[in-house]
Amino acid sequence: MTSADTVAPLAAVDAAAHAWGELADDQAAATMLTTVLAAVDVPGVSYADARLIEAEEVRLYSTLESGLDERIEHNLGVGVRVLFNGSWGFASVPIDDDDDLTLAAHRALANARNADRVSDAHRTELPPMPPVSGRYATDVVLDPFAVSASTRQALLGDILSAASAPVEVVMAQAGLNAKRQHRHFANTEGSMQHQHLIESGAMALVNAVGNGTMQRRSFPNSFHGNTAQAGWEYVEGLRMVEEADRIGREAVELLTAPLAPQGTADVIIGPAQMALQIHESTGHALELDRILGDEANYAGTSFIGPDAVGSLRYGSEAVNITSDPTVPGTRGSFAFDDEGVPASRQPLISEGIIRNFLSTRDSAARIGVPSIGAARSDGWGYTPVCFATNVFLEPGSGSTEELQERLGDGYYIDDNRSWSIDERRHNFQFGTEVAYEVKHGRRGRLLRGFSYGGTTPEFWQSVEAVAGPEEFKAFGMPCGKGEPKQWGFLGHGASPTLVRNLRIGVDR
Amino acid sequence: MSDTDSTTTTAFRPVVGGERAAEALEAALRDAPADRIEAFLTGRRGDFTRFAGRRVHQSQAIDEVQIMVRAEVDGRASLAAASSIAGLGRAVANASAAAREQAERGLPAAAPRADPGPVDEPEVSGRTASGALLWGEDTAAWDVGEHVALADRAMSEADRAGGVAAGMFGRAVTEVAFHDRERGTSRYAAATEAQGSLTVRIEDGSSHWKDLSRSSDRLLAAESVERTLAEASAARGRAPLAPGEYDVVLGALAAGEFLDFFGAFGFTGGALASGFGTAATRPGEQAASSLVSVHDDATADLGLPFPFDFQGTTKRDVPFLDQGRVAEVVTDRETAFALGTASSGNFHIAREEAPHAIPMNVILRAADTTELDLIAGVERGVYLQRFWYTRTVDPVRSTITGVTRDACFLIENGRITRPVESQRFTVSVLESLARVDGVGSVSLSQPLMNVFNGAATAPPLRIRGFALGTAPVPKGTTA
Repeated sequence: MTSADTVAPLAAVDAAAHAWGELADDQAAATMLTTVLAAVDVPGVSYADARLIEAEEVRLYSTLESGLDERIEHNLGVGVRVLFNGSWGFASVPIDDDDDLTLAAHRALANARNADRVSDAHRTELPPMPPVSGRYATDVVLDPFAVSASTRQALLGDILSAASAPVEVVMAQAGLNAKRQHRHFANTEGSMQHQHLIESGAMALVNAVGNGTMQRRSFPNSFHGNTAQAGWEYVEGLRMVEEADRIGREAVELLTAPLAPQGTADVIIGPAQMALQIHESTGHALELDRILGDEANYAGTSFIGPDAVGSLRYGSEAVNITSDPTVPGTRGSFAFDDEGVPASRQPLISEGIIRNFLSTRDSAARIGVPSIGAARSDGWGYTPVCFATNVFLEPGSGSTEELQERLGDGYYIDDNRSWSIDERRHNFQFGTEVAYEVKHGRRGRLLRGFSYGGTTPEFWQSVEAVAGPEEFKAFGMPCGKGEPKQWGFLGHGASPTLVRNLRIGVDR
Repeated sequence: MSDTDSTTTTAFRPVVGGERAAEALEAALRDAPADRIEAFLTGRRGDFTRFAGRRVHQSQAIDEVQIMVRAEVDGRASLAAASSIAGLGRAVANASAAAREQAERGLPAAAPRADPGPVDEPEVSGRTASGALLWGEDTAAWDVGEHVALADRAMSEADRAGGVAAGMFGRAVTEVAFHDRERGTSRYAAATEAQGSLTVRIEDGSSHWKDLSRSSDRLLAAESVERTLAEASAARGRAPLAPGEYDVVLGALAAGEFLDFFGAFGFTGGALASGFGTAATRPGEQAASSLVSVHDDATADLGLPFPFDFQGTTKRDVPFLDQGRVAEVVTDRETAFALGTASSGNFHIAREEAPHAIPMNVILRAADTTELDLIAGVERGVYLQRFWYTRTVDPVRSTITGVTRDACFLIENGRITRPVESQRFTVSVLESLARVDGVGSVSLSQPLMNVFNGAATAPPLRIRGFALGTAPVPKGTTA
């Protein structure tokens, strides 16, 4: 992360990886942004910002049923937000020629004027923020876009072959992806920011059928695999072929595995499932726009109230959760959010007590606190809303084996199979792909159909211990929010976590 | 039409337009270095007014364009996309080069494809040949000023009642253009879309409404706002509901939520070809009540009809459950070839997913029973307005889990009596549909998750024996 006066020189490999497309030049982008903002420099506009974004993705998928699906996608556009007389307006257009930039600005202003027609409206007062300018670029070792197509295609074929080796595997999918972005931001307060991001990822997913059931296994995460803000070195480090072979065999093993029981049990939850638990019951529950009711119609609200900071016991003393987009390497890593707020490490929950919310400038202003910088948008087309950043359960100490010894008898579970939580982020039910019996601290039989449920405070107050940093894993995730729906990309992570007295087997 | 600031808003018309789209696609593909090449363009221009509490907090105008090129070289295929006409040339070059690279490496050929079929669905004055409405002048006139006025009314009345309202009113114009160079076929259609949704909370009572249509008049938005306000008021004072099995009447939104899962349960060509799912393992079986007919029907004048898919294939009516009996699956050209059938026009390509055939305009056919009559047939049960956060638990058993939400009421002696609290449920969709003994007459439509131009439309349903509440597990029980 850098700021305007501390711009770090890029390593040679970085510079090459980020020199692509139409918006690589920060100065040219700055000129365009200045033009956009000038179009809404009219009386009544107290604030405006503009985002100029160019993104390119390469995606490869292969399934048992079809051959290679290879895609290269490019998009380029601008989104403009205007605060007129205390009312917001937003507009976005893809860039076809220079006139479109001004069109978006004018439409945003018109929308703000329309919003201003609401009688007796509560007008937004945005506390001024000092200008923050700077440049940030993902540190990559191997530019994923410089990797040859033949290398990518060969790896994809090897993953699919390994995953589908057992005859019981009837559906299998392998995927590889890379994305690069130029994200330029400016506002009427004088901020001018340039972020150049690169992601790489991979996925494998298998379904085995037999014995009257279908069982799924995935790697490195349940739905879309995992994508890191990193170069191709991340994909190489995943050892996908070896892991694909493992999940293919495990899916078959699950077909005849005993059904997980019902009741109450002590459980260690692995990092991949904990990442989703954090996402659903912590990240979403602490989004301030939900707490204030803005998302009541679509994404829902929260059981947590705006006065919870410093007073609400959310979890046990073992529960420490932070928002930290400054940690590099996941999809929730950035230097500036989409309102230009600099990234920072913030405690959300300390020793079980709520200390902060995920916030935007608008929502933070409404409760009289500064934004922590969690305004995110899915590219230029959508207005920023409050999405999680990197929200991590901080590690405790000790290895997974030590945690199992502490567990004694119970289960080790991981990798999400199904998930559901109510609109207040309170009552949840999750299923996992795998569960292992743990007897006297030793991992034993594989079980299928494991599920658990409860309420958010009950769950987090039952957390007894979290394994150490050496066991920590982070996952990049997509998240849907907003009307129209947009995707946010964020990071969650945890070490294996010991939870006592969990209700299990709740989906039957 | 209201007094909108017309000097600075964009006219309600397609982002690209048919003539420009056709010219651009034909010109870009004409000399492309590929054996076969085709492309589709999607455009969407929308105005979306979100509100909550006492303000319009997101007043948005969004233009989006995506052009996807599919090039084939020596039987190998690759795709490339751009977000503007200006980027089309590069997409053509990228797709062609990537397909050539595959061919040079000797990678397996792309999956063979069935013939796309005839182009036989001309649009006539905003209606397709099958009669489905595509273009509503009422929607074109339903502008941001009207959205804001409706939002203001909902928020003001909720406020007067001691509650809060949150929602969204929006309109959009969606367009799809398609060109296949080798076949010399081009297609284009543009369609309007009107959406409304509202959640009202008054004390512990709440109610929700949502609907979408090509026609804004069909939303009956003003009446829906009034009804939602009244229902939220009536839902105050919720009592706990004991877990158990109840006769239920699902409101149209709750019933429509079931339709989101028909892809996951195996009503797709891909699943059938793999031998997985309901259509593969239970062909022709009476899986649901004979009162239940579920179709993927983009030719119907409900939901979001559209004449063709992104492969240029004319859409047709595909029954999934024909009077409860397991019937057909949706296909694209690839899965149709694998199954030896014709494509149903359901090719889809979404973010972070491989392209595949999916349900896109799912409709549970309505009957002629009013919702009140459905309720009248329940001696003791529950009315459930909508579900929330439903997810697949077991696709083989068609099991989903979720929670009930908003206006849920006890039914006693055929009448709604007291509001009840939300409950989690985990049920089999097909087993529930097998116990349907009443189908309502008035449908609501809602978007299908992550499906471009996708909708699910259903009327209310009466189901005998619907389990509410998680399995009763006493705390402290050792597994």
